[in-house]
Amino acid sequence: MSEQQDPSTPPPHGGVPAHHTEFPSNPISGAIDTVIDRVGFLFSWLWVVVVGVILYAVIGRYAFGQGSVMLEEIEWHLAGAAWLIGLSYTLVSDDHVRVDVLHEHFSLRTQAWVEMLGLLLLLIPFLIIAQDSMIPYFWSSFLQGEESQAPAGLPARWALKFFLPLAFGLLLLAALSRLLKCTTLLFGWPRPRRQDNTR
Amino acid sequence: AMDHAAADPIRWKMPIAFASKLPGLGSPSQYVAKQLDAASGGDVQVRVFEPGKLVPPFDILQAVSDGKVAAGYTWIGYDQGKVPAVPLFAAVPFGLKPWAFASWYYWGGGHDMLQEVYANKGFNVYARLCGVIGPETAGWYSEPITSLEDYKGMKIRFAGLGGKVLEKLGASVTMMPGGELYQALQTGTIDATEFSMPAIDQILGFNDVVKYNLFPGWHQPFTAQYMLINKDEWNAATDQQKALIETTCTAATMMGLTEGEYKNGTVLQNFQEKGVQADQIPRDILVKLQEVTREVLQEEAEKDADFKRVYESQREFQEAYKVWDKRAYLPADLGEEQ
Amino acid sequence: MGLEEYFVIGMFATFGVLLFTGFPVAWVLAGTSVIWTAVGLIAVDYFGADLWFDYGSSLGLLAERIWSLVDNITLVALPMFIFMGIMLDQSGVAERLMTNMVKLFGAVRGGFAVTVIVIGVLLAATTGIIGASVVLLGMLSLPVMMKHNYSKALAVGTSCATGTLGILIPPSIMLVLMADRLATPDASVGDLFLGALFPGLMLGAMYVAYVLGLAFLSPRSAPLPEDLPKITPEVIWNVIKAVVPTAALILAVLGSIFFGFATPTEASGVGAAGAMLLAAMNRRLTFKVLKDSLKQTTRTTAFIFAIFVGATAFAVVLRGLGGDRVIEDALLGLPLEPTGILMVILLVVFLLGFFLDWVEITLIILPLVAPVVQSLGFDLVWFTILFAVCLQTSFLTPPVGFALFYIKGVAPPEIKVTDIYKGVVPFIILQLIGLALVFSFPGIVTWLPSVSFQ
Ligand code: NA
Ligand code: NA
Repeated sequence: MSEQQDPSTPPPHGGVPAHHTEFPSNPISGAIDTVIDRVGFLFSWLWVVVVGVILYAVIGRYAFGQGSVMLEEIEWHLAGAAWLIGLSYTLVSDDHVRVDVLHEHFSLRTQAWVEMLGLLLLLIPFLIIAQDSMIPYFWSSFLQGEESQAPAGLPARWALKFFLPLAFGLLLLAALSRLLKCTTLLFGWPRPRRQDNTR
Repeated sequence: AMDHAAADPIRWKMPIAFASKLPGLGSPSQYVAKQLDAASGGDVQVRVFEPGKLVPPFDILQAVSDGKVAAGYTWIGYDQGKVPAVPLFAAVPFGLKPWAFASWYYWGGGHDMLQEVYANKGFNVYARLCGVIGPETAGWYSEPITSLEDYKGMKIRFAGLGGKVLEKLGASVTMMPGGELYQALQTGTIDATEFSMPAIDQILGFNDVVKYNLFPGWHQPFTAQYMLINKDEWNAATDQQKALIETTCTAATMMGLTEGEYKNGTVLQNFQEKGVQADQIPRDILVKLQEVTREVLQEEAEKDADFKRVYESQREFQEAYKVWDKRAYLPADLGEEQ
Repeated sequence: MGLEEYFVIGMFATFGVLLFTGFPVAWVLAGTSVIWTAVGLIAVDYFGADLWFDYGSSLGLLAERIWSLVDNITLVALPMFIFMGIMLDQSGVAERLMTNMVKLFGAVRGGFAVTVIVIGVLLAATTGIIGASVVLLGMLSLPVMMKHNYSKALAVGTSCATGTLGILIPPSIMLVLMADRLATPDASVGDLFLGALFPGLMLGAMYVAYVLGLAFLSPRSAPLPEDLPKITPEVIWNVIKAVVPTAALILAVLGSIFFGFATPTEASGVGAAGAMLLAAMNRRLTFKVLKDSLKQTTRTTAFIFAIFVGATAFAVVLRGLGGDRVIEDALLGLPLEPTGILMVILLVVFLLGFFLDWVEITLIILPLVAPVVQSLGFDLVWFTILFAVCLQTSFLTPPVGFALFYIKGVAPPEIKVTDIYKGVVPFIILQLIGLALVFSFPGIVTWLPSVSFQ
């Protein structure tokens, strides 16, 4: 049942295996996924930066007794940007958690129908509504030149708020890509890529 | 009295920034809601939403201005990042006493200036003073403060302009959230924290972990809360409804102030019985803190025209008031010498 | 029943049904909020329903509410602990720690699961973020337990349940929020922290007892490692060599909090740095490993935050449709004796836990019932801890146990949601027994606060 593995070899897929259905890709989805995959990978490096900032804050407090309001803000700014961008990255890699009690017994076509209807009726409307509040939310912050509410904090709070519409825009793209994969499977449109090697 | 029944009844949602059970800080919001309902016979209904239930506390101004909710009740200092002048209306280091601040607000043009300050930054709100509490304490400390040097390297949680003052004096200032304070004080991650007045601090249990509660609250001699109302909603209200709301807020201000004043003495005495040292910060240190505070406020004034205007108006009143303030009140320690 | 009641029940029902289509949990929550916003708006605009419902104060607030998830430094600990867990896993030290600890337990069946519980209790003392501890424990222990042919249910149930202890054992964000909502010196943060300590440890001990008992009665669910060596000085020495680095890391994380070098948030970053260091020392910190770990950190963090996003949308619409008032009216209309009222309140909390997350339950119910409970003469700290244990249990109760979703996200593919549901059932029963014990013996809660700070 469980594969016998040499304990010295790390498990595949970074400890967390791929546990999802593969739908056939098409040129449009392929392009979207590539972009989001690269952006997501790029932003993943922020975690190392956050670790560095935290170490610097902890050491700095003892070694130099210096203030940390700004460092605290840098920590959550970076982490916030990373997880917001990560939302679309996770959709592309299909790592959002599902209750698979019934789902795993569905045929691939049934799964594609569920996925397509879910995207059309649940996720995409939600994302559009989210943008309806996020774009003005960012825009007013930008016009006000919003800064941290802490006098010793970071300037340009509006810049981080830009990540709300950005992240949900990417999420909308990712949802579109997934939607097209479903239509490729169900209706043959857009035509599938001959060599499907997205993962 | 029948004609006003034709006016649209008011049904406003009002998110708040502090739990409504917190004396003085949050309790006036419930007072306002109850009084408005009762006094209007149900014509003006305001429904209070506890912190986080609807609008996160930091975004109450924006949500009210955008008309997502008709009203909000908050400590407007949270919006310093958007409206640099608001701290002057919310809490001013070495600023006025609560009733003196109210005097300036009601009689010295403060109310009108606040409307202008919001309008100048493009916010579509009508703001009304709706609660003031007395001084906060200067905070909870693991060691007493005996000299200015003590601030050097002190790890302290301190919000607002006061935090900037302490950074200038060499303290390591953090803004860690209220939820982490108890443990951080206990383990020594921080050496000190300010929070609020005794009746509120006791809920966070600081007296369990550190023994020095220092006074006076130089960084926040008054703390004011406001009812923010979307300007369109306000304009749509009848004169009668407006008068009712303003009167209720004025009453709430008195109720909130007196609630804190009524409770703090007992709580502080209770602290002392549990071994808390309720000490004064030495006068020479206060003098220095005041100096640095003036520098910080001056810097802020140079960055924002509204800040400058409001600050000067307050300073002017403070100067004129001093001669009266210094002599008019009985010394608090009168009769203590046996 | 009024319109509000129908709406609230309808919203929960929609969510429950859509959940089982297998569409991602986060987006089912989000989509349900969209559907019921439409229903609410139609009811108000076209049928003149008497609801205080509008778009602006429900989904119109999405940006503000999602921003408050960004503007929250406490949540930085989540990705940091996740990164730490992935790094420990990738570097192979997690497995070495687990297998070596088991060598010491020798012939004790269920040794892996007991090790998980011990690590979990230690971890609980550093963080109160359920997502972080469940995911971390799952990553550390599931591959090892599966490899040694533990029953899926036992393996997943143990890491899942142990992961939820973090919210009960102080420090705990949940207890802080409760103190804030109660806003009374009768139940300050300190009182609640102390009050929760023994119940939390007691539950941990009950888990251990259960695991040992099960392993004894059903050896197949927790088989002994096959090549288990006799305990010789050499074995002990090897164990020490294997355990010390990881133990040192865990101590560094715990110690930096206990000794005040770092806040819990910062300690999570210290832990992540330490895990990287361990990987480097084991010559495993290749570019590829780092790259994969970072990618996986992003995905794991994002799926948890996605659930937060969905939940905040669901909550604001539920509230707009009158959800709070429906629940309030139901609770306050109970005609019962004092003890009966208390039990019904806890039952309601437990049942709501099947559908709502703890923040919402705390916001809606605690401030409402606390004054009632106190006026009936019950100890408020005791009641709040009962409430907290109920909520901790709610993380485990299907269908909407958030711990179940978190563990699903990191479990090997052969572990299905059905296995997870099966796995947590015994632990839910243990939780209920624990709750009954705290209910019957209030001293478990009240003794520690009563002897401290006097
Ligand atoms: Na904890
Ligand atoms: Na549940």
